[in-house]
Amino acid sequence: MDIKCEDVNHLADLSDFSLSKKQADALKDDLQSIIKYISQLDEMDTKNVEPTYQVFEMENVWRDDEILPQQADREDLLALAKKTENHQIKVPKVL
Amino acid sequence: MKYVPTIGIECHVQLSTKTKLFSEVDNDARGKEPNSCVSPVDYALPGMLPRLNGEAIKYAIRAGRAMHCNINAFSRFDRKHYFYPDSPKGYQITQFYQPIIGSGFVELPSGTKIRIEHAHLEGDAGKLTHFSDYSLVDLNRVDTPLIEIVSMPDIHSPKDAHDYCKELWRLMCYAEVTYGDLYNGNMRFDVNISLAEEDAKELGTRAEIKNLNSFKSVERAAEYEIKRQSRLLDAGEKVVQETRGWDDASGKTTGQRSKEEAKDYRYMPEPDLPPINLSKEFIDAESAKLPLMPDDYREKFNQKISEDILEILLDYPSLMKKLNEIDEKNVKSLSNLFASVLLAEEKSAEYLNDLPPSKDLNELAEMNEKKELSSTATKEVFLKLFDPQMKGRGAKNIAKELGLVQENDLGALQKIVDTVLAKPETQKAQEDFRNGQEKVIGFLVGQVMKESHGKANPAAVQEILRKTLTK
Repeated sequence: MDIKCEDVNHLADLSDFSLSKKQADALKDDLQSIIKYISQLDEMDTKNVEPTYQVFEMENVWRDDEILPQQADREDLLALAKKTENHQIKVPKVL
Repeated sequence: MKYVPTIGIECHVQLSTKTKLFSEVDNDARGKEPNSCVSPVDYALPGMLPRLNGEAIKYAIRAGRAMHCNINAFSRFDRKHYFYPDSPKGYQITQFYQPIIGSGFVELPSGTKIRIEHAHLEGDAGKLTHFSDYSLVDLNRVDTPLIEIVSMPDIHSPKDAHDYCKELWRLMCYAEVTYGDLYNGNMRFDVNISLAEEDAKELGTRAEIKNLNSFKSVERAAEYEIKRQSRLLDAGEKVVQETRGWDDASGKTTGQRSKEEAKDYRYMPEPDLPPINLSKEFIDAESAKLPLMPDDYREKFNQKISEDILEILLDYPSLMKKLNEIDEKNVKSLSNLFASVLLAEEKSAEYLNDLPPSKDLNELAEMNEKKELSSTATKEVFLKLFDPQMKGRGAKNIAKELGLVQENDLGALQKIVDTVLAKPETQKAQEDFRNGQEKVIGFLVGQVMKESHGKANPAAVQEILRKTLTK
């Protein structure tokens, strides 16, 4: 699979990242080599192999239904957004 | 050409657990500020680990049993990927391959059975508000636990689609897994509809109408789609497989996006959540906690309450619970009062939130039974039992305070009758009655009622009058 600059920019766009040309080029090369590395797995025949959900063999890990105080409050979290308005995250027009 | 419609419905039910499905945050955002019920997990900050809410598993078992579904001992979570600002994670955590709720069925009041394919647990998405050139995102709803209930294509009319959605709503409310507030989106319906010629072996191409939030809109959208698709097929055109939106005001569906460019959700195992493996004992214990369901009430009350009234009252789980608590002999009279007086009352929504104690309702029914209250007075006292100003005082005290208790004491009634018969203005009527004019008894009863300020029991008065006059 060939990764093109457009693919990187498309992904950046969907994730609302801005990338410089240099960054996009570097990411393109990185992604290309990651995919090449992972593609080695394609040589394996996995027809009758169940997908691996986890490697620890844990089960039934769940918690009580109790509200706990959070370490970050509304303003801390909203401060991470690029733009906000009326305590909401402001995003470009969608749909 | 005559076509057979086939309808399948996916229903999302928001569970009323205290916390969200994957974070220890308040799950009840009703009346709360946007983005005030959120955590770093909901924001999908790097390194955040979702932690499964055990209560949601118990809710899912109850919801499943309410639909006669098998509960799968083994289930697990998957990631469904998509890019949209309502999901900071970039994927929804759902159960794609191994859902917790297996096959079952829902029986409509008409007796038609609609099979359930499966139902699964998943997290809800955030809420977007669209403006002319931007949108605002509120993440309060992110990862509110949902059960998505998937029906088999067993529905063949808009009416059955309506009844199925309504019965599902009742089942989920009676199972006490949701607030069931449709207006606020606690239950949302995706309806897919296709038409096929009679005797056709394969189903036609389907259109899907997403995000309907009332039974009526489900019914109307289905009716509209059947007409639209019939016209297309009659004209020799093809139905396009697509998602359509419903506009309640115009009563029409319009095309949104075509499934041909359907996205690949790249489902993959959710590695952050170990699988669920439930013992038979655990499933049985939770199943046993399922409260009485609409069908249990139908069976229990079908001799005492007429079917029409029962189906009306079944929309109010709290009333059915109350009828189940009160003395059996009072069920008939109180169910009539619930249906004809309480539900007709302007403040019924408020009153339904806080019902009077059973003993007050029993007291009222008994006073009516003993004719201590006329039927008009019974209705008046009945409503006062719900009135926050009067509540808790008891039917007897309220009736006394309002001076509505009927005089049944024969000695006391006789005295009033004697007083009235001694009055000069009743002499002619007495004479007429003795001469065989039956009708004037009404006038005399009226005079006694007046003298008693309306508190006498008219039937008893008439009996005493007759006895006295024919002595």
